[in-house]
Amino acid sequence: MGYVITKKENLSAIDFFMEVEAPHIARSWKVGQFVVLIPDEKGERVPMSVYYAKDGRIGMFIRRHGKTTLKLWYEFEVGDELLSVTGPLGKPIEVKHYGNVVFVSDAVCAQAESYATLKAMKEAGNYTIAIQTFENEANVYPERYLAKPVADEHYLTTEDGSVGIKGHYLDVLRELIEKDKVDIVFGGGKLGSLKKLAELTRPYGIPTIVTVRQIMVDGTGMCGSCRVLYGGEIKFACRDGPMMDAHKIDWDDAIKRNARFAEQEKIARERYMAELRARGVV
Amino acid sequence: MAVKPKLIKERIPTPEVPVEERVKSFVEVNLGYDFASALKEAERCIQCPPEYAPCIKGCPVHINIPGFLKALRENPDNPDEAVKNALRVIWNDNTLPAVTGRVCPQEEQCEAPCVMGKVGDPINIGKLERFVADYARKHGIEEELLREFMANGDGTKGRVAVVGSGPAGLTCAGELAKMGYEVTVFEALHRPGGVLIYGIPEFRLPKEILDKEIAKLRELGVEIKLDHIVGKTVTLEELLGEYDAVFIGTGAGTPKLLNIPGILLDRIYTANEFLTRINLMKAYLFPEYDEPIAVGEKTIVIGAGNTAMDAARSALRLGTEVTIAYRRGREDMTARIEEIHHAEEEGVKFEFFLNPVEFIGDEEGRVKAVKFEKMRPLEERDRKGKRKIVGTGEYVTLEADTVIIAIGLEPNRIISEEATGLKTNPDGTLVVDENLMTSIPGVFAGGDAIRGEATVILAMGDGKRAAKAIDAYIRRKKANA
Ligand SMILES: Cc1cc2nc3c(=O)[nH]c(=O)nc-3n(C[C@H](O)[C@H](O)[C@H](O)COP(=O)(O)OP(=O)(O)OC[C@H]3O[C@@H](n4cnc5c(N)ncnc54)[C@H](O)[C@@H]3O)c2cc1C
Ligand SMILES: Cc1cc2nc3c(=O)[nH]c(=O)nc-3n(C[C@H](O)[C@H](O)[C@H](O)COP(=O)(O)OP(=O)(O)OC[C@H]3O[C@@H](n4cnc5c(N)ncnc54)[C@H](O)[C@@H]3O)c2cc1C
Ligand code: SF4
Ligand code: FES
Repeated sequence: MGYVITKKENLSAIDFFMEVEAPHIARSWKVGQFVVLIPDEKGERVPMSVYYAKDGRIGMFIRRHGKTTLKLWYEFEVGDELLSVTGPLGKPIEVKHYGNVVFVSDAVCAQAESYATLKAMKEAGNYTIAIQTFENEANVYPERYLAKPVADEHYLTTEDGSVGIKGHYLDVLRELIEKDKVDIVFGGGKLGSLKKLAELTRPYGIPTIVTVRQIMVDGTGMCGSCRVLYGGEIKFACRDGPMMDAHKIDWDDAIKRNARFAEQEKIARERYMAELRARGVV
Repeated sequence: MAVKPKLIKERIPTPEVPVEERVKSFVEVNLGYDFASALKEAERCIQCPPEYAPCIKGCPVHINIPGFLKALRENPDNPDEAVKNALRVIWNDNTLPAVTGRVCPQEEQCEAPCVMGKVGDPINIGKLERFVADYARKHGIEEELLREFMANGDGTKGRVAVVGSGPAGLTCAGELAKMGYEVTVFEALHRPGGVLIYGIPEFRLPKEILDKEIAKLRELGVEIKLDHIVGKTVTLEELLGEYDAVFIGTGAGTPKLLNIPGILLDRIYTANEFLTRINLMKAYLFPEYDEPIAVGEKTIVIGAGNTAMDAARSALRLGTEVTIAYRRGREDMTARIEEIHHAEEEGVKFEFFLNPVEFIGDEEGRVKAVKFEKMRPLEERDRKGKRKIVGTGEYVTLEADTVIIAIGLEPNRIISEEATGLKTNPDGTLVVDENLMTSIPGVFAGGDAIRGEATVILAMGDGKRAAKAIDAYIRRKKANA
């Protein structure tokens, strides 16, 4: 107990940063691993990527998505405690010398991983390239939260072109591949983009390791909620991943499975927003 | 010569919540005895001498059953005293009677060989055990007994780490604390109890009762560290550096999946996912609670063990029709008789000799039917004494918009993958010697982690045996140091 929130800061129109005390995780967390947190007694277990783990604390980037993450934003302040933070979960990725390492990201979980992964990769002597995509200017993070400090090359793109390069990480990556600058790609974010990413790198035989985001309950391999088809076999994203070979994943099924509770999520979100409005919070 | 008391052949029944009411909620189904009826039932016991009593032999942890029944009968005018004395006898062998009194398959254990069963109904030992535990808890009788049992509890004999807070881990921890060890339990989930908290539903084992049982352990000085996964948060090696011995009671929590087409379709759950969402996360109270669950109108549950019954009865309470489809016959179902009976009473339908071969989905990727092959039993029997079955080549398709797979569980490999010196069998169970010691000296294991899927009482028996072996191991180690 006692997962005290030590920092909280808005990152953009949609994402925020939160740091909590979790010494049990900070001491053993490795790049590629995630945590599961529960805000309060009635809350659900939600997986989160780790931006950093140091001094007994973990930092996370969180998107105001549905009830749980909205609750974390509106009702949890510095000094408050979370009910539970478990981890580290999943398998660490192999940090070693690959040559030119690219990290691509177009959603909150992967923006956190971009910094953490490239930091480790740089320390392991790699040439590091970050391509961070945001929907628009309002969603872009303050510069100190980007992967810039740990990237030898850093590309910021927005899909509407309001800031940085206009386009998606896929566009920038395609150019880098043509310039023969890519030895391995790591990445994460929207599942639809990851499917396209897999198709982009496959013909070149470029190893592509990405976060297979699936709906999780325990996060330890106990429930089978996060199952995916991987090279024709059933694997659990939490236990065998979350970072897995993008070329072996059946993305169409993964995308479908991740929308399983859309109806319930909508009910929860709408009810909660109404509650917040009634209380004058929003 | 004393007059022989008249044998009462029939059981004193325990009241149950009427079917119509209980299928609408998760309230406990069986209401248990009150003191007067418990007394009457206990009086039916003919008090076989302990060295002979078949009920004791039938109990995996050998609770002195005639002993606790006698204690209960001795103070008919003082229920508090009667229960205290009875509980003392039970606690000698079993510290979680409110749990075992509810979930043990008594009809196959203590009650099966009961002498009274030859002339009428066997003594209702399970419900009497439950009565003693429930009464004691409600009337504050446990505190006093706890102090009695804590005689050596100064925590100076050594330090032991217990991994997993299911019945095996909890029992091992409790026994060691009573012996005077400092014990820390490491649990991966955010609530302790193992299957008892995430698997077995409220209508069989209310969470409040489980929490109270666990609170007793804390009173014995056991520390429980939640959200800690051994093998990830801390390694086995780190534990061995800090503690004199380690007990692994990590259970069998990994669901087996059917590797057939359509397995990724929406609304096909494993029983573990379904039950965890409902029990641990209270999804049946969505949206008051945040955890969602989605079921349609027709649910098929595949399997016929306790897990299948729990999933089926939970689904029913969410408002869907439920059919249990099992590849063998009625007599081969492994669930407790009481659960099968309750499931039938509540309206769960059963289909036998059906083996799933494909899940069929709609355009949206949601399951809409299950295709089964019809099976046929043979005369030949397998190792477990069940009739072998073969496919007939005939198929049948049953409509279902929700499917729950409850075909079994195996141990997770989180620890064995990380601690390479830990030997496992091909099915993932840990290899142990006759003292329940694993291939790593000082590391012991028990429960489903070594047996595969078994029962609560067997897990508790292992926990207790391991506690004794750990005590002996640490004494030896300290004497040689
Ligand atoms: C390995 C992993 C790492 C993640 N890292 C981050 C992160 O760093 N920051 C972040 O904001 N989000 C991250 N997520 C996603 C995050 O868990 C969900 O956004 C969160 O559960 C949403 O909960 P909600 O109630 O606010 O929204 P909801 O309305 O419940 O859900 C919004 C969307 O989130 C996803 N989701 C919902 N519940 C779960 C669940 N139990 N498990 C996984 N996904 C779910 C679904 O795609 C859903 O459509 C990660 C997910 C995984 C699997
Ligand atoms: C739905 C269901 C219904 C059942 N009904 C009955 C019944 O009516 N009667 C009966 O006798 N038996 C029943 N059983 C079987 C019984 O529950 C098990 O045999 C028993 O719980 C095994 O106890 P255990 O202590 O070995 O493991 P578990 O109860 O499985 O507990 C293991 C614990 O270890 C934790 N853990 C796992 N890995 C780690 C790790 N690396 N680090 C930290 N913690 C870890 C888990 O989170 C879990 O809490 C049922 C089982 C299920 C699934
Ligand atoms: S076998 Fe039956 S009658 Fe004999 S002591 Fe046990 S409970 Fe009593
Ligand atoms: S989240 Fe339960 S198995 Fe992966």
